[in-house]
Amino acid sequence: MGSSAPRRCAESRIRPLVTVLVAAALLAAAAGSGVGAHEPDDTIPGAIAMDFVPPTPGSYALPPIMRAPDGAVLDQAGRRQPLSRFTAGKITLLGFIYTSCADARGCPLAYQVFHTVQHRVSEDPDLRERVRLVSLSFDPARDTPAVMRRYAAGAPPNGVEWAFLTTERPRTLVPLLDGFGQDVRLELDDHGRTAGPLAHVLKVFLLDERAVVREIYTTAYLYPEVIMNDIKTLRLDEQFRRRSAP
Amino acid sequence: MRGIHIRGTFAAALLGVLALVGAGAPPATADETCNSPYMANLVKGQEDYLYVWALGVKGLGDGSDKLVTIDVNPASSRYGKVINKISVRGQGEAHHMGFTDDRRYLWAGGLDNSRISIFDVGTDPARPKLVRTISDMPAKTGYVGPHTFYAMPGRMIVQGLSNAKDDGGVTGMALYSNKGELVSTHAMPTSEGGDGYGYDVAINPQKNVMLTSSFTGRKNYMRALGELVKDPEAMKRFGNTMVVWDLKAMKPKKVLAVPGAPLEIRWSLKDGDTWAITASALTSKLWLVKPDASGEWQAKEVAVIGDPAQIPLPVDISINKDGTGLWVNTFMDGKTRYFDISNPEQPKQTYERVTGKQVNMISQSWDGTRVYIASSLLANWDKGGADNEQFVRGFSWDGKELKPTFEVDFNKEKLGRAHHMKLGAKAMKAAYGLERTATLR
Repeated sequence: MGSSAPRRCAESRIRPLVTVLVAAALLAAAAGSGVGAHEPDDTIPGAIAMDFVPPTPGSYALPPIMRAPDGAVLDQAGRRQPLSRFTAGKITLLGFIYTSCADARGCPLAYQVFHTVQHRVSEDPDLRERVRLVSLSFDPARDTPAVMRRYAAGAPPNGVEWAFLTTERPRTLVPLLDGFGQDVRLELDDHGRTAGPLAHVLKVFLLDERAVVREIYTTAYLYPEVIMNDIKTLRLDEQFRRRSAP
Repeated sequence: MRGIHIRGTFAAALLGVLALVGAGAPPATADETCNSPYMANLVKGQEDYLYVWALGVKGLGDGSDKLVTIDVNPASSRYGKVINKISVRGQGEAHHMGFTDDRRYLWAGGLDNSRISIFDVGTDPARPKLVRTISDMPAKTGYVGPHTFYAMPGRMIVQGLSNAKDDGGVTGMALYSNKGELVSTHAMPTSEGGDGYGYDVAINPQKNVMLTSSFTGRKNYMRALGELVKDPEAMKRFGNTMVVWDLKAMKPKKVLAVPGAPLEIRWSLKDGDTWAITASALTSKLWLVKPDASGEWQAKEVAVIGDPAQIPLPVDISINKDGTGLWVNTFMDGKTRYFDISNPEQPKQTYERVTGKQVNMISQSWDGTRVYIASSLLANWDKGGADNEQFVRGFSWDGKELKPTFEVDFNKEKLGRAHHMKLGAKAMKAAYGLERTATLR
């Protein structure tokens, strides 16, 4: 095989990983569930060290990249909802995940970063009600609403909305992936059979209150400090827009 | 049947395979040594395909610019053969290319017509397809001559070489979404020592630094080289700067003086290294860019390339994966030189070989054992007569000697002038993006 192989995670690791994630998140959340509580550790294996001071909020622009797609998703209660219910009306940090992913630089990294962002937003009265996190599974077969509920248990409510969503079937998932430009690759053997890993480039999307994508992060740039500054920049943008509106 | 097959595969994956596998592609610190750090799916094993963006030549074949695919896997019965070609309309001075971050699409630019051709290389890497053409870059951005295509997450930076107002060298960058929609524009600095010129782009995400270099405007690069060098006023209109940018803010932080048209920029890929290297074409020197002891970014000359008085004209460079070696092609003398840069403060040339009567681009495999060289610089700068060889040549490299492995004669095969090269892998043939799956269902 010519290309570098995306990492597999063995089936036997799926349950332990979810368990570890949930346990770690529960511990972190328990420690960080109030103002002034200890911030969860955002240094996990796989994270790339940030060696710069990010520009201050409002000192730079986040031009519109594209409008977020809409389509049907399932919430944790199994109710069918439009994705727009979770992308409009608040500044939204959205990432595609699946609960069985074990690559430290993949979904677990995104989960940890989301958790840190959730904690920091919870400590900011101006942002607490204006920011939402969304983890959307692209494994509808295994990540049922019930599985997503268990996964979400690692992030108990702290005043900041964090939606754990899935879809009914690939047919409803695909347009969302296409709309966000979230690539997923299958590897087939010479006979067209699935022969290897399914992989995706980890991307996290930051949307403004009108569901327009304003920033896209990947592993090489997924830092809570940067995301927080971007959220504050969007908040300043929104405040300016409202002041300027006739 | 194809649709059924893919549908079945997709369903199988999402019903069964998905839970068995890891999701996050490994973060790239680099592509096959010289691409964006945001690239996925590095070809670290044997590459199967070489994509060559070739300039059309009137009267040669169909005369149009084209993307040529060469089979470069020695195990293949078609090794060293052209297996696909896609022509785009006319002669637009085909020049450079760049993959999107997911490696599904290859963007390729024309320096003269300012057209950007986007090829799907993810669906079937052996047979790329033209899926979109962006023709309004000058009208929408004011910049012309799309040169460097550098992947950002979900976006593509396109560095212009010139501008629509006077075809001079003052230019800027355009940021497009991967879908081809313009997101923003960013002018090259013209104050604080900036000359406003542009050429290459290279990013160090961990430092939040983007470096840019500088060349010349359309009036110069579309002019015959013989005339140009005799015009002292025109020869003044080349870039002499590099710029250190705050990547996140997309704002220039510092202009570095690097006289003589600094071109390709390569960051060291070795973990812990924080330096980049470039070659200045007109002054024939290697320059090192790194922070000093106080953290201030500086550029300093660290080596000469050949005899600068003879103007060997260093063009493309290629750094190896561990930041210890650098290939340098010099166009005029047709030489390919290897520099030991294990001490980047003091590069030492350790090897050279004439690899053509004119040589420009050079690419290497991830492990450095295979090297590919292409001949063309610019339509009006290439040599004439018998010296106008047009080729892609493959070589093996054992650390001591470049040994020829195959050659495609672009003149004989009526393909045009061979310019930029990118690698592809057969494994990607089986990689179906969901967009395609959705289209087929």
